[in-house]
Amino acid sequence: MEFLVEGWINVLLALVLISGAFIVTRRDLLALVSTYSIQSFLISAVALSLYLIEKHNVLLYLAILTVASKSLLIPYFIRTIQRKMRIRRDLEFHYITPIISIFVTLILTLVAYICLSKALTASSAQNDFYLGAVLGVSLALMGMMVIFSRRKVITKIVGYLMMENGVLLFGMFLTELPFIVEAMIVIDLIILVLIAAILAVGMDASIEEFQARLNVAHKWFTQEKEDDEI
Amino acid sequence: MILAAYAVASAMALAFISIFKWNSITRVFSVLHGAAYLGISISALALGKIPTYYFGGRYLFIDRFGIYEIMIASAVFLFAAVYAMPHSKELVQSGELSEKNFKFAYLAFNALLAFVVAAFASNSLALFWIFAELSTASAALLIAVINSRKNIDAALKYVFVNSTAMVFSFIGIILIFLASEHSLGHGTLNWDELAAGSGLFEPTLLAVAFVFLFIGFAAKSGIAPFHTALPHAYSKAPSATGALLSAVVANIGIYGIIRAYSILGGNSARLSISPILIAFGVGSVSLAALSMLQQTSTKKLIAFSSVEHMGLVLIGIGVGTQQALFWVLFYIMAHSLTKALLFFSSGVLHRQYKTNKFEKMPDALKFQPLASAGLIIGSCAIIGMPPFPIFLPKLMLLIQINGVSTWLLAAVLLLLVIASVSFVLLLSKLFSNVSTGEAGQQLKRFEVPFGMKFSIVALIAIIIILGVFLPDALKNFISAIVRELRW
Repeated sequence: MEFLVEGWINVLLALVLISGAFIVTRRDLLALVSTYSIQSFLISAVALSLYLIEKHNVLLYLAILTVASKSLLIPYFIRTIQRKMRIRRDLEFHYITPIISIFVTLILTLVAYICLSKALTASSAQNDFYLGAVLGVSLALMGMMVIFSRRKVITKIVGYLMMENGVLLFGMFLTELPFIVEAMIVIDLIILVLIAAILAVGMDASIEEFQARLNVAHKWFTQEKEDDEI
Repeated sequence: MILAAYAVASAMALAFISIFKWNSITRVFSVLHGAAYLGISISALALGKIPTYYFGGRYLFIDRFGIYEIMIASAVFLFAAVYAMPHSKELVQSGELSEKNFKFAYLAFNALLAFVVAAFASNSLALFWIFAELSTASAALLIAVINSRKNIDAALKYVFVNSTAMVFSFIGIILIFLASEHSLGHGTLNWDELAAGSGLFEPTLLAVAFVFLFIGFAAKSGIAPFHTALPHAYSKAPSATGALLSAVVANIGIYGIIRAYSILGGNSARLSISPILIAFGVGSVSLAALSMLQQTSTKKLIAFSSVEHMGLVLIGIGVGTQQALFWVLFYIMAHSLTKALLFFSSGVLHRQYKTNKFEKMPDALKFQPLASAGLIIGSCAIIGMPPFPIFLPKLMLLIQINGVSTWLLAAVLLLLVIASVSFVLLLSKLFSNVSTGEAGQQLKRFEVPFGMKFSIVALIAIIIILGVFLPDALKNFISAIVRELRW
């Protein structure tokens, strides 16, 4: 039974990695959010499978919370903002093209593997789930790459959320996590609401309202333009 | 009891600000909020109630280091709140802050103090992380609240750089938990338990965990190369917020680094981490010193100067002696107060000239004598001239750095001189800019309201007093912190 579950976990991990590569390369924002939703679902499935082996209740709670927040609530929230902002595609890649980002992803995974094998051999030799930890860190690094290589804020948010999925995966495999992980999810929700609020004030308004406000604050804004690099 | 008092003060301030619709009440309650925090902290110290543990010591505590940081934060907040009383009115009148965002801004302003204090009162590394993130969130709101597209950009950058770095800290937290689980038999994230048991931790794992923790805390305090969001954020934020970001929020990062480094106390991992801290410190000072030379905006110069000072503080932490920590702690306080003065003074100049470019500020001395005095005194203080309070800790830190390497001392000294030159350039360019003919006469003088004047005068008085007189009580208190941290 345990052998079967372990094999199943490896399949899930491979799927998580593929979803990460998909997020790194896709331009379509709706597909990005859906992929994130699927990735979160896969991670909660990993948590559930680990629960079957290790029987720690924390893992069960984690699986439920992840599905509820990351697979359903957050994607719903992002889609709502997206609809308001009327942006569908993020065409702009800074520095790297999608094909190169796939290569960078591979290199990042390799680097994570080499670094972690050095740092963790002494302390977690008894841990069979070493691969999960490596994939967690690579997922986090891939998320970071998305944040720095893409221009649209929505894509950056998905990158940030992927980073956090990576950390979750990393923690799940390395140690029996305490309550804080749940708290972390809540905090991320808050931060997401915050970013969305900033977006709603700024980016959204940029279409029509911002023009109106610009006239009201005309004096300030022209000044602002004048000293471009205040 | 102390923590309950803080919580009640914050709850009341936030509740009254939400309930009452008058803006003047909002302003008054913010000032009272800061005053209450300062009052509670001083009385807790006077009554000898420190250190105190809550919930069986697992989640929250207030020790000497914590209350020291809380006092600095509340003092700066108090002055910022007094300064913001008339300043926020000005912002609303000029349309930079919309009326509907006013209450929102004040709620974020007050929540920021509550989150910062909660971070300092967290005994759990995870709780500390959470409150640090929440402080990032409220700080970003304060930056974004000004009606300008650039502010939104600056706020988003601030959130992304900080949160991304803090995700790495979270990996560090997991690794620390793992290290404690392996060595102590049970995983813990409490500062005090970690510090007590760290001698048994596996050094490589502990060192890796520290490096991950460091990335997030360094971004929070503005250590290069994680500082990229800071200059924009500090210079785009209204002056009262800029002061809070630079003098209070940045301290959270340094606080985290000091706490995490104190965990390494009894472990050989400390030997490998110390050069890393010194290297990042030198990197920050160099990057800041060279960037400062090119600045033409007062607030950006002040912002980059924060990167420089945090770099020097980091070198002090990396040196690792008890004396170095003593002066690092004193330095943090002196820096916070001086930075607040600089932000407040440049805020007045911004209201006068509607720009931060110091080349576009003719007759500053004539139009704004008090703000000019504040800027001159603040600049002299920040570069570490006597008789101001940064002079002594800077000198002592340099002596400590000499203990590590004379070459390091020479390099740091050279960089500090370059950084000082940029302030000299600021002052000479600003005050030699005297208008001729009609241009200067067209400008209308901005009458500085009492609240703004008060904060500037009070801070000038405090930094002069602290510069010439170091009270024994303060000296003993900082020494007690050093002992408490088992440095």
